[in-house]
Amino acid sequence: MELLKTIFSPLTQIKGRTSIILIVVEAFLALLLWEIVGQNGLIPVPSKILTSVVAIVTSSYFVDNLFSSLTLTFTGMGISIVLALLVSYLSLIPVFAPIAKFIVKCRYLTLTGLIFLFTLLTQDGHQLKLSLLIFGIVPFFVTSLLAIIEAINVQEYELCKTLRMNNWQTLWEVVIIGRLDQVFEVMRQNFAIAWMMITMVEGLSMSEGGLGTMLIKSNKYIDLGTVFGILVIIFALGIFFDFLLRNLRHWLFPYTKIQVKK
Amino acid sequence: MTSYSKNEVLIQVKDVNLSYDKQILRDINFAIHNIVRPGLSQGQVVSLIGRSGIGKTQLFKILAGLIQPNTGTVLVGLEQQPVKAGQVGIVAQNYILFNHRTVFDNLRLAMQHSSITLNDKEKDALINDYATKFDLAEHLKKYPLQLSGGQRQRASIIQQVLTGNKFILLDEPFSGLDALMIDRVIELLLKISTLDELNTLVIVSHDVENSLAISDTAFILARQKDKEGATITETLDLIEMGFAWNPAIRENEKFQHLVAQIKHKI
Repeated sequence: MELLKTIFSPLTQIKGRTSIILIVVEAFLALLLWEIVGQNGLIPVPSKILTSVVAIVTSSYFVDNLFSSLTLTFTGMGISIVLALLVSYLSLIPVFAPIAKFIVKCRYLTLTGLIFLFTLLTQDGHQLKLSLLIFGIVPFFVTSLLAIIEAINVQEYELCKTLRMNNWQTLWEVVIIGRLDQVFEVMRQNFAIAWMMITMVEGLSMSEGGLGTMLIKSNKYIDLGTVFGILVIIFALGIFFDFLLRNLRHWLFPYTKIQVKK
Repeated sequence: MTSYSKNEVLIQVKDVNLSYDKQILRDINFAIHNIVRPGLSQGQVVSLIGRSGIGKTQLFKILAGLIQPNTGTVLVGLEQQPVKAGQVGIVAQNYILFNHRTVFDNLRLAMQHSSITLNDKEKDALINDYATKFDLAEHLKKYPLQLSGGQRQRASIIQQVLTGNKFILLDEPFSGLDALMIDRVIELLLKISTLDELNTLVIVSHDVENSLAISDTAFILARQKDKEGATITETLDLIEMGFAWNPAIRENEKFQHLVAQIKHKI
């Protein structure tokens, strides 16, 4: 009774175990409701989706497609991080600041109109996909990284001055290594954007396969069971990588655990 | 009275004026002398007392060489050179440390560009020595976020001492502390001030009682009638008054009377 009262009271802190029970029960109820109500509908029910997931995962082509998507995502993410970090750090040098500001504004530039330009500039489908992915992620990355830099307390720079560090040493201590944990967090958050974009860019050049290609092909034949099955796999993999990156952050930067506890 | 002498000038503030859209500081002039007591390493503890919003933080930054006044100069050291950032240590009100480094690494970093020339082993030994002296030995491996306010303050002060700076500015060191903690901070600051003859602590605070209790000299920063900008309106030689270097001074009736007077003036 007390538990019921707690979970319906606003601004109440609930313990970890209760929180997990809540998630599991609510997910189970939602799926059960979907299973019952959706029997005669167009959208496949959870049991059918689960059957499709098993069929996709055990199929011979799945591993190749998954590997293709993961390779593209990680390559894109890796290059994007390097570019975004470079632009963000250079933004502290006045001459490079306008470039960073322009890249931030590029968030409002649609990719669709630029596909032709990228096709001309790149040599093959792989390069085209990679370029579009990078072009899509970098502005979001730079925006988040610049927000981190702007939020730095001016007293940290002053402390560096009193510790007799020059401007380059201050940049290294405060901005680069001092904010590496936050860069990692930005990377985790932006991984979601990259993972979401992957299906879109894979549709532009289907020769290499990938989860996006599988999705587009299934969509074409209105094979909704497979479509939803692939969506579930993409969703689950996204959550798995999010979990992995979060734990990797805590492992690499132990002090972030203290911040979470506080 | 304890015998002492005021020798060479260590910090001199000459005609400092600061204004942004309006005058903040006006004609600030004061000097801090090296106080010598026979048989003791007697450092200096000086207070700049003023109410909140009067411009104390701006003066604090000018003294640290972090901002330049519109006119005037701050001269530091026995050579009386214009102050440069890095020559005067600062301990901010919120005890800034690098959160991504352990306490030990924070202290080690302070020694990287220090004026003290020691090898790695000697540096580590010195850190351990200070940590033991100031009850931080068991916290050296912790991150700043794991420390209490008092521990952070101590780490922050030691960090500045390890840079080799003889002059340390402290912004509101008694702010947000309970009575017991204030006594411990006073004890700590007096300990720091007596580590070296030239050690000079400049406390910038609105806490009249505690600032006066710890200081040998106090400067009152206030606005004068019909004049814009804060200036030094009064200098209190607490040694001459018989209030300096007395741990129980806060219980003294005359001292209490002085505190009440200053509170009224600022």
